[in-house]
Amino acid sequence: MTPAAPVAADDGAQAREQAALLAAMARGDKSALARLYDSLGRPLYSLAFRVTNDAAEAQDIVQDVFLQLWQKATAYDTSRGSVFSWAATLTRNRAIDRVRMRKRRTELLAGAAAELQPAAPAGDTDSAASLWLREKAGAVRAALTGLAPDQQKAIELAFFSGLTQQEIAAKLNEPLGTIKARIRRGLLKLRETLPSRL
Amino acid sequence: MITDRQEELASLHAFGLLEGAEGAAFVVELAGNPELRTLCDSLAGAAASLALAAPPVEPPAGLKDRILDAVAAPAGDNVVAFPLHKFAPWAVAAALAVAATWFANQNMALRNDNLTLRNERQLAEVAYKMTQNQLAERSLLAEQMITDLGRQLRRADDLTRLKVTALASLAGNTREAQVIAVWNPEQQTGLLTMEKLPALADTQDYQIWIVDPAYKDPVNGGVFHAGADGRVTLGFKPDQPVKQAAAFAISLEKRGGVPKAEGPIVLLGK
Repeated sequence: MTPAAPVAADDGAQAREQAALLAAMARGDKSALARLYDSLGRPLYSLAFRVTNDAAEAQDIVQDVFLQLWQKATAYDTSRGSVFSWAATLTRNRAIDRVRMRKRRTELLAGAAAELQPAAPAGDTDSAASLWLREKAGAVRAALTGLAPDQQKAIELAFFSGLTQQEIAAKLNEPLGTIKARIRRGLLKLRETLPSRL
Repeated sequence: MITDRQEELASLHAFGLLEGAEGAAFVVELAGNPELRTLCDSLAGAAASLALAAPPVEPPAGLKDRILDAVAAPAGDNVVAFPLHKFAPWAVAAALAVAATWFANQNMALRNDNLTLRNERQLAEVAYKMTQNQLAERSLLAEQMITDLGRQLRRADDLTRLKVTALASLAGNTREAQVIAVWNPEQQTGLLTMEKLPALADTQDYQIWIVDPAYKDPVNGGVFHAGADGRVTLGFKPDQPVKQAAAFAISLEKRGGVPKAEGPIVLLGK
């Protein structure tokens, strides 16, 4: 008898499940932390690695983020966004802080020009959560590539590089006002394209 | 109503690109605008979803265990075991630190006390010297006062010893005369004040005599000549020491006086 193929949960169900895990963590349930790591560990690590381009730093960042989620689980406010959004924001902010702190800007500027890489080949566990993430990652990439190239570049630099507005403008050799407008239009379009809650 | 500018600021805010005064002003604006707050939350969610656009990279196998190991226990029961033998050196170090702090405080307190006592001693010395000077000044003043008082007493004593005598007329031509004699036995001098004393011929003088029981004859006190107005004030000094001035007398003598009374006594007083 062949086991049934896992089915990706819908967005709302995933968000509710992650919120429930966080609530269990707030009660001291260590297994909930393990399950949340199974759900978010890979995308958060990928994000940290994408920003820092350093495996050791990415590990430290992900560990710090999950420890913070464990310690601050009681402070989570469901009305302000999904658990994934919260964790992704924490990861990105920490990664950017490290990048800025270590003054590795030159290296990052070179890396920032790299094209988005295709998703890693399947090989990970085919859990419902991972399937959901894989689908959403595809949706995000599709939405990103659906932007005008200049908007896509500005958005990527704004999110992953840790550069300031002025540095992005200098990097793309465009006026600051133009960069601001591209970021605005690009992000508004992403919001329309992407599901409301991941 | 959300403006284009607010949309732009909210987009930059979602990426953490607002800095300095621009960022601070937007945070203030955000606090008072729920609609803008909602827009920011939705844009932040869209921005966060970009995390999934990062090329997937498999985290190291040990990362999960590392995280779970770091989370030792639920937040409420997060008690770290601490064996006693590990605690002892810390306890000793803590005790030493406390003792060192206590001694340092004591030392500081004693230093402060010592300094205070020194200051008080210096102040006391200054006060002592000031008091000494004041006492010396007062002593000198008192000494002067005593000296002055003594002088005053001596003067008063001297005054009590003065003999004041009014001389009465013994002759018809001196009946209206008013004569007072003051005698100072210490200084052996006297003073006569006379009014309405009859004027004399150029060949005659008045002569003063002091009657002293120690002598057989009255002691000569000198001669004087009364003017036309009859007023005379003069000091006199006997030509012999007078121990006791029992009486004063004025006689009428020839010009220049005589060693021993010869003429009539015109005035006499005891």
